[in-house]
Amino acid sequence: MLDAVIELHQLTKHYGGTLAVDDLSFKVEPGHVTGFLGPNGAGKSTTMRLILGLDAPTSGQALVNGRRYATLSRPMHEVGALLDAGAVHGGRSAYNHLLCLARTNDISATRVAEALEQVGLSGVARKRVGGFSLGMKQRLGIAAALLGDPGVLMFDEPVNGLDPDGVRWIRDLMRSLAAEGRTILLSSHLMSEMALTAERIVIIGRGKLIAESTVAELTARYPSLEDAYMALTADSVQYGAAR
Amino acid sequence: MKAVFSSEWLKLRSVTSTYHTIGTAALMVALGAAWTFYVSGLADERGSLRAAAPEEGFLPLVQISLAVLGVLAITNEYATGMIRTSLITVPKRGTLLLAKAGIVGLTTFVAANAILLVTYSASRLIASDRHLGFNGTSFADDLPKLLASALSVTALALVGLGLGAAICSTAGAIVSVVALLFVLPGVVNYLPPPWNTRVATLLLPNLVPQIADERLSTRLGDGFLPPWAALAVLIAYPIVTLTIGYFLLRRRDA
Repeated sequence: MLDAVIELHQLTKHYGGTLAVDDLSFKVEPGHVTGFLGPNGAGKSTTMRLILGLDAPTSGQALVNGRRYATLSRPMHEVGALLDAGAVHGGRSAYNHLLCLARTNDISATRVAEALEQVGLSGVARKRVGGFSLGMKQRLGIAAALLGDPGVLMFDEPVNGLDPDGVRWIRDLMRSLAAEGRTILLSSHLMSEMALTAERIVIIGRGKLIAESTVAELTARYPSLEDAYMALTADSVQYGAAR
Repeated sequence: MKAVFSSEWLKLRSVTSTYHTIGTAALMVALGAAWTFYVSGLADERGSLRAAAPEEGFLPLVQISLAVLGVLAITNEYATGMIRTSLITVPKRGTLLLAKAGIVGLTTFVAANAILLVTYSASRLIASDRHLGFNGTSFADDLPKLLASALSVTALALVGLGLGAAICSTAGAIVSVVALLFVLPGVVNYLPPPWNTRVATLLLPNLVPQIADERLSTRLGDGFLPPWAALAVLIAYPIVTLTIGYFLLRRRDA
């Protein structure tokens, strides 16, 4: 699992005339949580979509375990991702939703039940997802990401909508997943939370890499991670690709 | 591939819209029975009469209901954002669309055949030995038409799936299917002859009688296509739309 890593090589993405990701290169290494920061519209979600092969890069490439995501035959066993907790059919039960995903990668129903248990949704497994709160949908999305027991995990703002209990749960979950040697890329706008969860930080703005560092280095140079973020992104706060 | 099929089968079974569309299509049984009771009553008063067969008259209901099932199989994923979750688990987009096509094709073919056969049997039982115009022929004679009808339902459902994949919008895909089924046949009548009949023979609703080697309609005269050619045209509809849907799905950012 130690080789499990996300690599971006001069990744670039245009949407029409908008440059959403601009010559972005960085690596995410196993064993710790890497925080992925940047202002709204900086290209964080686009970068994650490019890594997952949902969008095709204009140039450059994104590799997971040394391969393009789209070439993986059973990707859930290698990569788990939560991009948008709302991207579920509200009419399906939580159990059926996860089972639909699990079956595509030959993951058993037992594992679906385990994942529901792990995120604390066992009690509502048979309830329609449409009635879930955002926090419950986040938990469901995390369960989906964990289904295949993957070595690489990506979460786009998973803390949104969670109660304080849930926020702490995510923090502990991320750290324990990283401690197991997994590679975790986590985006969030909550700096205090990020300072507690992440060890390494990647900051982007307007699609470009601004900083790649450790939390320890940033908090040594600035009063706090939040101050570091504010200072580093001061020139980049502008809405780029609104997608 | 088998894994993706099994997932798509569960996806279809686990949303209520599947049951609503099949239920709407199955209204044909009730409507067909009511129609047969009505014309049987007329026949009891007047002796014999020539009425349309219910499994023909109400076929558009089954076609449009199950076409909506085909459309929703993909557009409900676009509407909810589920398509991105699906493509993360199955990055090979052709595999995903093929699995959807297989499940939609199989489900609609079985459902359409069941609905048509029940409607057919019920109406013949109700008609008993009255002469209603549609019940004089044997089941063996009627079988090609029944199978062609069921096949047209499946073809239209797959056209709906292909259009849904191409335009990603439930409303847009349903409007396109409605145009194909109800609007175009009406418009084509107004083309100058002989183009009205030539084009009409290629339209989806007109292919069913041609496959069964029957007259199209009194206005359009006899069908121009031999049964095998009509069958080939019917099969070409879903193949063309699914191919377009596949290329757009593959090229587009999800």
